Amino acid sequence: MRPAIAQYYPGDSLMHRLDPRAKFVAVSALAVALFVRDSFLGLAVYAVAAALAYAISGVPVQWFWRAFRPLLWLVGLTFLAQVVFAPGTPFFSIWFIHLSWSGIELAAFLSLRLVVLVLAGSVLTLTTAPIALTDGLAWLGRPLRRIKVPTDELALMVTIALRFIPTLLVELDTIMRAQRARGADFRSGGLRERAHALVPVLIPLFVLSFRRADELALAMEARCYRPGIVRTRLHPLRARPADALLLLVTAAVIAAGLLV
Amino acid sequence: MSGAGEVSGPGAQDFGAAPAGMRLACRGVTYSYEEARAAVPAVRDVSLELRPGGSLALLGASGAGKSTLLQLVRGLDEPEAGAVLLDGVEPGADGYAALRRAIGLVFQIPELQLFAPSAREDVAFGPRRLGWPEERVADAVSAALALVGLPAETFGDRHPYALSGGEQRRLALAGVLAMQPRLLLLDEPFVSLDPGTRRELAQILGRLKTAGVTIVLATHDVDLAWALCEELLVLRDGAVVASGPWAFGAADDDLLARNRLREPLLVELWRRLGRDPATAPRTAAEAAEALA
Repeated sequence: MRPAIAQYYPGDSLMHRLDPRAKFVAVSALAVALFVRDSFLGLAVYAVAAALAYAISGVPVQWFWRAFRPLLWLVGLTFLAQVVFAPGTPFFSIWFIHLSWSGIELAAFLSLRLVVLVLAGSVLTLTTAPIALTDGLAWLGRPLRRIKVPTDELALMVTIALRFIPTLLVELDTIMRAQRARGADFRSGGLRERAHALVPVLIPLFVLSFRRADELALAMEARCYRPGIVRTRLHPLRARPADALLLLVTAAVIAAGLLV
Repeated sequence: MSGAGEVSGPGAQDFGAAPAGMRLACRGVTYSYEEARAAVPAVRDVSLELRPGGSLALLGASGAGKSTLLQLVRGLDEPEAGAVLLDGVEPGADGYAALRRAIGLVFQIPELQLFAPSAREDVAFGPRRLGWPEERVADAVSAALALVGLPAETFGDRHPYALSGGEQRRLALAGVLAMQPRLLLLDEPFVSLDPGTRRELAQILGRLKTAGVTIVLATHDVDLAWALCEELLVLRDGAVVASGPWAFGAADDDLLARNRLREPLLVELWRRLGRDPATAPRTAAEAAEALA
């Protein structure tokens, strides 16, 4: 069992080696551009750029599909809503449904935009280790410390949460197996029965998580963790020429998309 | 231990209405875990035979595949190849599912799975899932609690998390025993227990053995394995490297060392006394008797 979204695919491609901060800025900028630009041509430029980035990352296409599948219903819903409700001259009408070419065009545009957005986002999450991503975000959030936002603490919280997701999944799996061995059934019955069947799983999982949180807090104190002091790093993030190049290329792509 | 009763309770013959132990056979059982990019073999072509009422020690270094094998036997995973035969019945044949339900599996650190608001309720979980009438459930719960030395009158209404570590372990065991298994699989049951609780647990297992329950015990504790089990099976990287009755020749030293095991203390004692290790006693009491 593993989470479908924001999964990291370990590797050593150019995309993997780029600085997480540069990647985050590039993807964010591209996302904004995606929403500003409203022509198929612009969209196509961004789609090609995102696809190229994905290809460079060397991650198998199935991994994108895995990240995208949970969002499929959203894309489908967007498409349907636009087809049905978008204004335009209908060529076919029944009851409240009025199909028009402009509606279909708009629906296709909005759905494609979502696909490109997820594609660009998955290049970021698939090629960046969650810890590196958090470090990058903490760095980018530094100016917020001026207004007393505890960015380092937030980053640490996210890091710890990410660190324990796999642990909790393993524990969840063990507890479910143990209760299955005692005859629990998680697969049949209605919604009510299934929710009820989860009680013997969730209670031990919560108890375990709280115990672990207690122990982790003690262990961190024993290792002199104190909130509010600036942390130094063994491997500080270091931007390299390739990162600057990424930002330049992204700027060029965004400009190209806006101008075509 | 706080207020834990002696492990008295009913004798072996009173252990529910459990029919005789189950016969277990594994034929070429194979299983791998799916990792990110590759399948990692965990159990490779494991075959074993265990007579009804027999007892088998499953030994091997950490990560040798002991837990996976136990879970395959219980049917929590299906083997990729090979089959687990229960009382000679092939998987998929009539009655196989019912036989599977007559297998009790005690997980590593099973007290982590306690969830009910009272000891009694927690133990009753399994029997209720078997669809037994409430009366039979109550009887089975009382018998199981008594068997593990937590009599229902004293402990039945206590909250599981208010019990000591050793009591929790025994309560979790009771939760499995209440289902009156004919084959009991135990995954490292002695881990992180104080010596007193270890001893009590070993006594409980001894009593189950006398009652005729077939037992498979995965453990690192070779002394307890030697005391409790007639046969052994050593796994290494998921494959069987030794099986059958315990035998301690010169060649076995090497086998034990390579699998990060050692021979049981009583066997070592017998060898150092110049006696035949194969006739080594199973318990300190037997040793004292033989030496007196």
